[in-house]
Amino acid sequence: MKKSILISVFLVIATLLASCAGSTQSATNTPIKIGVLYNVTGSQASLDAPSYNGAMLAAKEINAAGGVLGRQIQIVFFDGKSDATVIGNAATQLVETDKVVAMMGFSDSDMTLAAAPIAAKAGIVFVTSGATSPKLPDQVPNYLFLACFGDNVQAAAGAEYAYNTLNYKTVYLLTDQGMEYTKLLSKYFKERYTELGGQAILEDSYQTGDKDFSAQITRLKGNSTQPDFLYIAAGPDDIGTIVKQFRDSGIDKAIMGGDGYDTPLLVQIPGKGATNVYFTTHSLMDPNLGTDPIKKFISAYTAEYGNPPENAFAALGYDTMKLIADAISRAKSTDSKAIRDALAATKDFPGITGKLTYLPGSGVPQKGVTIILVKDQKLTLGAEVVPEKIPAP
Amino acid sequence: MQTNEKKTLSSLVTGLILVAFFFGLLAFINLGTSSYIQRIVIGLCISIILVVSLNLSSGFTGVFSLGHIGFMAIGAYTAAILTLPLSLKLSYLPDLPAWLENTQLSFLPATIIGGVIAMLVALFIGISIMRLTGPYVSVATLGFMVIVNVVLTNWDSMTRGARTFSGVPPYTNLWWVGGWTVVTIYVIWRLARSSFGRQMMAIRDNYIAAQSLGINVLRMRLLAFCVSAFFTAVAGSLWAHFIQSFSPKAFLFDETFNIIIMLIVGGMGSISGSVIGVVGITILSEVLRNAERGVNLGFVQIPPVYGASQILMAVIFILLIIFRSEGIMGKRELDFSRIFSFLFRKTKRKEAASQ
Repeated sequence: MKKSILISVFLVIATLLASCAGSTQSATNTPIKIGVLYNVTGSQASLDAPSYNGAMLAAKEINAAGGVLGRQIQIVFFDGKSDATVIGNAATQLVETDKVVAMMGFSDSDMTLAAAPIAAKAGIVFVTSGATSPKLPDQVPNYLFLACFGDNVQAAAGAEYAYNTLNYKTVYLLTDQGMEYTKLLSKYFKERYTELGGQAILEDSYQTGDKDFSAQITRLKGNSTQPDFLYIAAGPDDIGTIVKQFRDSGIDKAIMGGDGYDTPLLVQIPGKGATNVYFTTHSLMDPNLGTDPIKKFISAYTAEYGNPPENAFAALGYDTMKLIADAISRAKSTDSKAIRDALAATKDFPGITGKLTYLPGSGVPQKGVTIILVKDQKLTLGAEVVPEKIPAP
Repeated sequence: MQTNEKKTLSSLVTGLILVAFFFGLLAFINLGTSSYIQRIVIGLCISIILVVSLNLSSGFTGVFSLGHIGFMAIGAYTAAILTLPLSLKLSYLPDLPAWLENTQLSFLPATIIGGVIAMLVALFIGISIMRLTGPYVSVATLGFMVIVNVVLTNWDSMTRGARTFSGVPPYTNLWWVGGWTVVTIYVIWRLARSSFGRQMMAIRDNYIAAQSLGINVLRMRLLAFCVSAFFTAVAGSLWAHFIQSFSPKAFLFDETFNIIIMLIVGGMGSISGSVIGVVGITILSEVLRNAERGVNLGFVQIPPVYGASQILMAVIFILLIIFRSEGIMGKRELDFSRIFSFLFRKTKRKEAASQ
């Protein structure tokens, strides 16, 4: 009995060692390996799985068109399982065993920071497709890039649009205190909005996962002055409930927020209440109202996976893969350092989520923001804007 | 009397052999393997510390705690705040009190302070919740974990709130985790074997009977809870300096269930069982994680199925609980002196045969 246990333990260890020993070929027409890390299981799956599909679609298109530098692109993928320890292990495998030339992935700061330092240590660049904290690149200098806009950019875009275009001069600010994303978003929004001359007449907060907002609603209704509109910094899981409860209580003022609103729940949960809601996001994923590249992307994605893109994160994953491929072709080399330098010099890259440029020394791109207006339960394109002034990260 | 002394000596020798073997293994891993394997071993040792210390309160004393990850969080945050380089402190945590803003400690004192703070917290909450029994104590400790999480999320000036706490120096290496693993196992093994340990087990098995024998139930439970909180916080500090960036949401239900599963699989009330549980589950989940990416068996190519590893693990746990509900080791321990003497006798016999 004991012996058999011992043998099976050895077998398991042997399998483990065998699975780590990768092949190390280096002929010139072998595929270019790009490491892709997403959490297709666990709490991050709703954002990461579409991103991963988008990245695979992009690689497929690139390869069909002849690849990069005459070589095919090979995605080396690991599931991060929404667990920092697993992500650290997987990133180490990508560096050591698979010897990838660049890495991409994730829609969350914690997850990105679990992988990017490991890549940076090996001189490999990491591009995050969906983590929007503008503070991220400073924490892994020179080797961490955002392919999406920073939260300071989308907050500023929202503030300018509300103040200048919609002519709203006073705001009620509700912030989820449980997430880095929402806290930063509301901080940047307030900074830009008050700078423009707007006034925050009441600020309130809640915690991620709260189900009852009657206390906040009562406080708002009891306030002596009523705001022109509401800026609610919320994540995808809560926003539907929030809009529903505010609308049900008779508040019909405009509601505005960030890309956390980019979920089907925003329209599904509030039902009829889902109107007069604005939010800033990466692109409008609509087969009729989107831009031409988005329409093309939606039909290609639908043909590949049998369903239209779940959210804008699919387009971000797609753009990120193409961005890296673009950097490799401009670098004319698969040397990690050359790829990093070429990526940092990206100018006017025509992504489907907007034109992208990295200014010298910055890992946060200059990128346009799409503002969407939800009207009578339908998403419509409000505007595409580039903010005039962006709060410092 | 003589036999007793002989027994102590032989267990001392066995212990020394085991420790020497363990450090030899670490030296080999340090020099001879990739940093991927090293990362797995570091994670494994941290889990061993977590599970062995959880075993002291849940397995030996019968206080089934669902809140230990709260102590891990306390250890991680305390130590990380103390070791964060001064320049980073100024930009990441500008609102710290002045005396803390200008303090930077090395790894060992920071880890110990983290442990001591967790221990004091355990003492404070333990005085009230260690009076509870059975499922009530589990629920109360679970509540404690949630409270810790809410405090960490909202104490912006100390913890950066929900934002990622990053910039923690990468102090954790094989030697630190190896050393702490040995210390943890030694202390808890000694405690479990002492008269304290006997009293704890008596409380676990029948606390009314134990009370009638004059055992101070509250004091014993508090002792187990506090010691176990100390080492859990130590593991938290090691983890923080290993992962380097984390936020309060890392210390919630996922991690709680991870260590409880390892504890149950290994056997509640057995230290060697805890180690076996952790090693088995860690290796199995790593192998499955690599296998779920698709395997080429020569004659057939299995496509990648992400999430299959979690499903397979769950099936294995269910089977294990059905067929061996007390875990791999139950309440027994591996008796190394017997294993050694068995091996020794075998070689002796072989020598005799060859002569």
